[in-house]
Amino acid sequence: MSETHRDDRAAGAGQDELLLAMAGITKRFPGVVALDDVDFDVRRGEVHVLFGENGAGKSTLINIVAGTYPQDDGTMTFDGRRITHLTPHQSRLAGISPVFQEFSLAPDLTVEENLFLGREQARWGVLRKGAMRTRAREVLHDLGFDLRPGARVGQLMRAQQQMTEIAKALLQDLKLFILDEPTASLTERETNRLFALIERLKGEGVGIIYVSHRINEIRRVGDRVTVLRDGKKIGTVQASNVEETKLVEMMTGRRIDALFPDIAAMAGDAMLDVRNLSTVDGRLSDVSFEVRAGEIVGVAGLVGCGKSELARAVFGLDKFSVGELDVLGERVAHPTPTGMLKRGVCYFPSDRVAEGLALSRPVRENASVAALDLADFTRWRFIRRRQERTAIKRIVEELRVRPPQIERSVDHLSGGNRQKVMLARGLTRDIRVFLFDEPTVGIDVGAKTEVYQFLGELTKRGAAVLLISSELPEVVNLAHRVYVMHEGRIVNHLEGNEITEEAVLASFFGTGADAPSAGAAAG
Amino acid sequence: MTALTPPEALGRRPLKALVQFVVLYGALPIIIALMYLGFGLIEPAFHSGENAINILKQSSYLAILAAGQLFALLTRGFDLSVGQLISLVSVAGGLVMLDVLEGSPGAVALAVFAGIAVGLGAGLATGVVNGVCVAVFRINPFVVTLGMLGICMGFATTLSDGFPVFNLPEGLTNTLSRADVIGIPVPVIAALLVLGTAYVILNHSVLGRSMYVIGSNPRAAHTAGLRSRLHLASAYVICSVFVAVGALLLTARTGSGEPNLGGGLMLQSIAAAVIGGVSLRGGEGKVIHAVYGALFVTVLSVGMNLIRVDGTIQQIILGIVVVAAVYLDQLRTRFR
Ligand SMILES: Nc1ncnc2c1ncn2[C@@H]1O[C@H](COP(=O)(O)OP(=O)(O)OP(=O)(O)O)[C@@H](O)[C@H]1O
Ligand SMILES: [Mg+2]
Repeated sequence: MSETHRDDRAAGAGQDELLLAMAGITKRFPGVVALDDVDFDVRRGEVHVLFGENGAGKSTLINIVAGTYPQDDGTMTFDGRRITHLTPHQSRLAGISPVFQEFSLAPDLTVEENLFLGREQARWGVLRKGAMRTRAREVLHDLGFDLRPGARVGQLMRAQQQMTEIAKALLQDLKLFILDEPTASLTERETNRLFALIERLKGEGVGIIYVSHRINEIRRVGDRVTVLRDGKKIGTVQASNVEETKLVEMMTGRRIDALFPDIAAMAGDAMLDVRNLSTVDGRLSDVSFEVRAGEIVGVAGLVGCGKSELARAVFGLDKFSVGELDVLGERVAHPTPTGMLKRGVCYFPSDRVAEGLALSRPVRENASVAALDLADFTRWRFIRRRQERTAIKRIVEELRVRPPQIERSVDHLSGGNRQKVMLARGLTRDIRVFLFDEPTVGIDVGAKTEVYQFLGELTKRGAAVLLISSELPEVVNLAHRVYVMHEGRIVNHLEGNEITEEAVLASFFGTGADAPSAGAAAG
Repeated sequence: MTALTPPEALGRRPLKALVQFVVLYGALPIIIALMYLGFGLIEPAFHSGENAINILKQSSYLAILAAGQLFALLTRGFDLSVGQLISLVSVAGGLVMLDVLEGSPGAVALAVFAGIAVGLGAGLATGVVNGVCVAVFRINPFVVTLGMLGICMGFATTLSDGFPVFNLPEGLTNTLSRADVIGIPVPVIAALLVLGTAYVILNHSVLGRSMYVIGSNPRAAHTAGLRSRLHLASAYVICSVFVAVGALLLTARTGSGEPNLGGGLMLQSIAAAVIGGVSLRGGEGKVIHAVYGALFVTVLSVGMNLIRVDGTIQQIILGIVVVAAVYLDQLRTRFR
């Protein structure tokens, strides 16, 4: 379909073409204008991408459509009807189904229970509970997501929780499907499943709003792209024929040339040396690896392959049954978070809401929380508040957290900015070993380059970096060595020129051609 | 994200000034002031200087208890054993004083000192047990402190045979209840000291900071390397020690060791903290909230006494106010 043709249709789009039309939407929060006179529409059977920096207002727009909170100004028409005073419940009934950036699952319930949580009475009588159960299993199966319906959500990885959220959104009648950074922690396989699903929904005439910071995805699934910056609409373009650099320029207002910096390998002494490690829960078995000073070591693998557990076990969050762990040449028999931080090891969890941040507390407290045993911040167990403020202000500016107000509570920040607040932890003390689990979840392209450069700086200073990521380009372009995991074991180790997307992908299913023994991998 | 103009023009219009005051300090100070004026209109005696001092003294006891409760609430728990601990401290302290006086009549200072020491010791022990059960054994605070409620009640009744411990030294009441320093009653001074301590812990110590983080997200606290078990247990210890201080002051006021002294105070202490603005979800609350809450509850009950509202009806009203306060707190977070 040619662009002109499309635009013709847009011009003459009748009421049935246009599923959602928003005009002049403005939303203010105390101290910020999150959306400023924004027009936005979605046609039936179309994927309309929202693109923009962290804090640009994407999630806010979505929340207004979903009825989370009302706009201060502007009008909204959905399915030919003018909509005012929308509540979340009405929005669901109307066929609007959002998958939010931050999850809203009940951690103590199972996947299945979460799926039909809050819907039992609303739409289905008690008698239909059996039908709902079948339906839930159907949806999971349909999606092809590798999820056990009986698993407790609190014990799932971030990626699996993401799948649960998606499945949950699909259980209702769909007219408008909203995805806010759905792939942030999914790997290729799940992402492909999701895209297949999106294609199918498009065919059924469902409108889709898609938010992502991954440019290649945008071009893959998007029909149109609307770019927001600082709460204002910059423009809407066709996804098929827009240049990547053009998008980034619209988004940031400046040009970004290279996404991935060249980080020279300067491997020094082994900072972290793990031998034959197995965890009590069996999610890791006989894993050996090492990370040297001045290098970035990537860990790749499918969701649930144990790559997250690697860092958790080292940091003392998952108990190990056998194995040896040396940090900076010293044996650590019983790692605990407190002890590991003292030794200069810091872990950055993938799930910032569940494990990383105290949302109701201000940025300052979240940033300094891992350094409260240092003389820089405390004296005789009392906090030196002035020093704390100055140091955190500096770090927040360095990481470009927006808005740069250290007393703002973290739940008032956008997703990407929350992530930066968590990363700030690594700058408050002298960390020698960085354990990153999905460090760029939800971070915009501009900020990503900053994080990558930050990783470069760290290695230059002689830090050891373990980079666990499901974003393959990230691992392939940054890491000096890569371990590939499958079902709790390290199945491949790649170095230098061997590191290509194909080579890494090839071992994802445990079929690494010449999977070296674990011992050899470490050596 | 264009920045809005900061609130400079305070007082341009009275309504605007009022709104800004409420945003900064909450509506409670205004409500307390209105209640104070209102009761005075119905019953002029309410506005006497004597009554003002009475309210101040009364709310001092409650503020101390609410400050203790604040620590438990901040870490996502609460302490149900507060009331019965008060009874236990009162009885145990009283009995020790009598014992000492029996051994060496006339040694009033020694007796009072020993009584205070034992009372504080009982508080400390209770707090440690509560804290260890909650933080180390991970038992639900509701269950732990409910059990402790029973244990304290049992001890208090057994030790006293269910009768008040009379004949406590006059010196106790004279120093800890009736005396004043440059016109400020001793209980008020004690409350200021306790509240000051709480303020310093919460705002300036690593322990306090940690408690806020634990209350806001316990898993994040652990991952960030905070010694969360120790800090969580400390919250209960601090709570019980504060309560023991309050109990000793209350004992001095009545002049006897009372096995029923704490009866309604568990509800009142939680009520004061929650009405004052401490969140039940943990991680949010300040010392000033305990003060507001204590003043509110005291003004309400003294006022209702003066205009002769029946005691049972007072209980009902307090109950309703607590539930309403929690509901308002939820509304507040929903509209953020
Ligand atoms: N509940 C809130 N209270 C106050 N301010 C908020 C609230 N939610 C969002 N904001 C502010 O509104 C602005 C837009 O936030 P929004 O979450 O829409 O950004 P976003 O485009 O989704 O960013 P990201 O890519 O980081 O997720 C930000 O400046 C944010 O700090
Ligand atoms: Mg967002």
